[in-house]
Amino acid sequence: MLSILVILPSVQYVFAAEEPGEYLDRRVEIWNLFFRMMTVAFVVGAVVSGTLIWLIWRFRESHPKAKPTSYEEKGVW
Amino acid sequence: MGGHSSWPEWIYIGVVVALLVWVGAEAWNVERLVEHIPAEAKTIIVTGQQWFWTFEHEDGTKEIGELHVKKGIPYKFEIGSKDVIHSFNIPDYLVLMDAVPGRINVVWFLPVEEGEYPIQCREYCGLLHYNMRGTLYVEDGA
Repeated sequence: MLSILVILPSVQYVFAAEEPGEYLDRRVEIWNLFFRMMTVAFVVGAVVSGTLIWLIWRFRESHPKAKPTSYEEKGVW
Repeated sequence: MGGHSSWPEWIYIGVVVALLVWVGAEAWNVERLVEHIPAEAKTIIVTGQQWFWTFEHEDGTKEIGELHVKKGIPYKFEIGSKDVIHSFNIPDYLVLMDAVPGRINVVWFLPVEEGEYPIQCREYCGLLHYNMRGTLYVEDGA
C-alpha cells in the first residue's frame, strides 16, 4: 500500500524530471490531475463516512451486543 | 484508557499522511510540468485595462480584443495590467492568470485545434467587467 501510494509515484517523478514534455497539453495534465484527486476524494469520503456509519450502528445502546463501559458499570468516573 | 491497543490509530495516521503526501506530490509535479515554458515559445504581451485586452506580438503588431495565433506553435503570455487587477482567461485552453498592475505574470499554452475561442476577464474589475471579452483565433500554421 505504502509503495503504491508513495514510493512508486516518487520514482516516476525522478524519471519524469528528465523530460518535462515541451509540448504537453495543459488541458490533459490539469484535467487528469483533477480526476485523480476526485478519485482520492471520493474513496476517502466513502471510507470515512462508511466507518462512521458502522461505528454509530454498532455501538448504539440498543445493539444486541452492546455492553456498558467500565465507568458506566461501576457508576464511578 | 489503559490497556487498549493503539495500532489502528497509527495505521489511520499512516494512511492519512501517505495520502496527503501523494496528493501534494501529484499536484506539485503537474504544476512543474505545466509551468515549464518551451524555449521556442513566442511571446505575446497581454495588457488588461478597463475594459479590454491588448495583445502585442513579437514583431510589434498589436491587436485589441482579438488575438490571432497559429496552430501547433507554443505561445508565452506576459500578462500585465494598466489599472486594476484583471484575470486573463481562455477557458477552452485552461489558461488563467491574474493581470496585476506593476507586475508581469507568465503563462504559456499550445493551440492545437483551429477555431474561435472566447477570452474573458475572470476577476471583477469594475462596471463593464462582464463585457471585457475577446476572441482567440487559432489559424492553420502551415
